[in-house]
Amino acid sequence: MTQDALADDTLPFLDVADPKFSIRSQAVLDARDASWCARTSYGLAALRYDDVQKLLRHPKLRQGSYRWPAHNGVTGLFARWWEAMLLSQEGDTHARLRRMANPAFSPKLISSLIPKFQALANMLIDQFAAKGECDFIADFTEPYATGVICDLLGLPFERWRELADIAGEMGLALGVTFKQDLPTIEAATQRIFDFAEELVAERRARPTEDFIGMLIQANADQDQLSDQELLDMIVLAIFGGIDTTRNQLGLAMATFIETPAQLTLLSERPELGRAAVEEVMRVRPTVTWVTREAVEDFIYNDTLIPAGTTLHLFSQSATSDPEIFPNPGFDITAERKPHFGFGGGTHHCLGHFIARGDMTEALKLLAQRIKNPRFNGPVEWLPDSGNTGAIRMPIAFDPA
Amino acid sequence: MKVHVDMSICLLHGQCVIAAPEIFSFDDAGGLVWVAEIDEVQAGDAEAASDACPEQAIVLG
Repeated sequence: MTQDALADDTLPFLDVADPKFSIRSQAVLDARDASWCARTSYGLAALRYDDVQKLLRHPKLRQGSYRWPAHNGVTGLFARWWEAMLLSQEGDTHARLRRMANPAFSPKLISSLIPKFQALANMLIDQFAAKGECDFIADFTEPYATGVICDLLGLPFERWRELADIAGEMGLALGVTFKQDLPTIEAATQRIFDFAEELVAERRARPTEDFIGMLIQANADQDQLSDQELLDMIVLAIFGGIDTTRNQLGLAMATFIETPAQLTLLSERPELGRAAVEEVMRVRPTVTWVTREAVEDFIYNDTLIPAGTTLHLFSQSATSDPEIFPNPGFDITAERKPHFGFGGGTHHCLGHFIARGDMTEALKLLAQRIKNPRFNGPVEWLPDSGNTGAIRMPIAFDPA
Repeated sequence: MKVHVDMSICLLHGQCVIAAPEIFSFDDAGGLVWVAEIDEVQAGDAEAASDACPEQAIVLG
């Protein structure tokens, strides 16, 4: 008889709900050597590249992170939004919302945005370049990630600090300390909805041609986009765009600080910028796991996965799997198989063309203008699981 | 208009199936199938699918 995976105590167990758990720990590497999957505090974790790739698009699985608030015993404003928005939807509702949002994130828009990305990055670097030090998060990744979203949605850049704070505070919901941080998360969620309502009122009075304008047009027909869906989508665009890019660029800087020769290489060969983004997302993805849920009982790798099981697909451990990456070290010139930093399948990240474009320009310019960066004080990190990243990263460098 | 998918880079995300379900679909084995020759009425949907493909694997001509 096939063993029920959740009851199979020969499988390794990973205590992923512990804030001290690290997705890069020896325990995860040992579990990956021992088995394709581990039991976890939430269900199962897939650990190896081939399995993560297959399970990302497995027909017996649906998107699973809609259950994240429930896993954490959390209800409220954030949970309501999280469970209703695009990422948590499936089937016809998901397809309707995704088709509506797609054109605003088309690759055709990127070439017109690149000069804006460059101007923004240069303006931010100008502010600290001469000092030879900065907090890379507060002085670069937060205003940069937020500035890109301001450009895209026509939001006032003067309010970047407020929007970045909101996104950072809401982002605490995507880590294992969700419940502990709930008051902060709820207050930030209230502020972003207030902001979205204000924005909708303003754009109804003065229509624009951008993503918000397009959503407001669709909202004229409630069957196409209800009032709640309109606000939920705007909140997703602001939050989703800021938090992940902020975190991913911080992880990029940490990775380059640990492997300085790669930064020198990028400064000499800026055409490697895009490859650098992909390689950073392979070795240090902010999205360390992608979540799925079994819609019915099914057998995978001779293991019975019961309906309702949450599977965390460990992007972090999959893309360092020695079976697929025999030389897993950070190398921006290496030809690599695809990473899972943008998820995959039906719910593949909507904003990835923009994220790839803006991070490419940022890394190219940083490599040219910041030499020999090093940590200049303690770095404050989110838990090393879920959506991870640095909150504070003091660095010193030699101006170019 | 001709529709072609470069299966050497397609990762079967299925974004084209969402964007243009009349042109792209999955067969029972999970493989991607598509209408290779479409009329002008469907060109907009085909372009939406091509834009939405994360791997940019769809070639229209």
